[in-house]
Amino acid sequence: MNKKYFLLSDKTRIIVLLLAFSQLFGQKLEPIDIGLMQVREIVEVASRSSQKVFVEDFTGLL
Amino acid sequence: MLEDYPETLINIEWHSPGYTPGNSDFDIPEYSTRGNLYGVNGTPHTQWNGVQETIGGYPNGDWEAWIGTFTSIYNSMVGDNTPYDIQINGAAGNSVTYDVIISMDADMSNSNQKVDIFLVEDNIWSYWSGAGSYHNAHNVARDWLLSENLSISEAGDSEAFYGSFELSDNWNSDSLKIIAIVQNYSTKQIYQVSEVNINEMNPDIDDDGILNNSDNCIELWNPEQEDTDDDLLGDACDPCNNIIYVLGNMNGDVNMDGSPKIDVFDVIKLINFIQTEQFTLCQNEVMNVNNDDIVNIMDVIDLIQLILNGNNE
Repeated sequence: MNKKYFLLSDKTRIIVLLLAFSQLFGQKLEPIDIGLMQVREIVEVASRSSQKVFVEDFTGLL
Repeated sequence: MLEDYPETLINIEWHSPGYTPGNSDFDIPEYSTRGNLYGVNGTPHTQWNGVQETIGGYPNGDWEAWIGTFTSIYNSMVGDNTPYDIQINGAAGNSVTYDVIISMDADMSNSNQKVDIFLVEDNIWSYWSGAGSYHNAHNVARDWLLSENLSISEAGDSEAFYGSFELSDNWNSDSLKIIAIVQNYSTKQIYQVSEVNINEMNPDIDDDGILNNSDNCIELWNPEQEDTDDDLLGDACDPCNNIIYVLGNMNGDVNMDGSPKIDVFDVIKLINFIQTEQFTLCQNEVMNVNNDDIVNIMDVIDLIQLILNGNNE
């Protein structure tokens, strides 16, 4: 274990953790993102409201 | 057609001055305002969902020859996808109060989007000199109650519009309806319409004793109307207490004094959310630390910076 890690300040330690996580898991985000986007599009289209028709008649008779 | 498609076809008759039968009070000043919106010059003129018009008719009000044209227009429009849903409720007595709730299930820009609310009277039987006969008119415009900008634009948003009016002795209150539409005033496109008879409105949707227009959770039973964070959204329907779940406080923990606590554990929580995309509605509200509408590694960096700057523990 690198003793130097434990000599780092809390702030620096956080940055190191952050970089480690991003390197480790950055590649895994893409296929999840693509799949979720496709599912989201399907759900959004299926759930949209259906529009009624509104006719305005400018007249003396209808 | 109105009888053939009662659930999906809604009309309003803007009665043209000069064709007013007898001593009726059908002429209202709003006729000109609405007609000018579409450039109406002569009558009869029909305007479908704000964007398609027909001009002219047949003598003596014989509309049978136009059924094919009208049906074709109707079929081209009915059932189109729209992000808007309109609910109309209220209470009718000597006076009428109404609340119109517009909700969205998809994103759409609110640029030039407006909500208009009309009062109409259905089934008016009267002598019409233009046709030389008695005729039953449907949904004759009685008043233009409200015209306001729509502020919502995202899926899950909702906005309420309230108002009231007095009943006239000249109206048949059993036949009065409120019609609400969402319309783009630039393109004139109408995106949704809804109507309800004033006697069929529900004054208290959640039956908690608080009328809709005073209820801080219109659709959830909350007679005590608790609102801890005073954001006018009752605790019963406010999933996020905005006092604790402030920007960056992913786990909702607090300091000894009850103030929100933002620390390295929130950073770890945010990273976990980005990886798994599993988070609560409250957490979703506080994840976009840099307010760019995208939750990603940049929000993690900004959250760290927030902590390093000593804004929170």
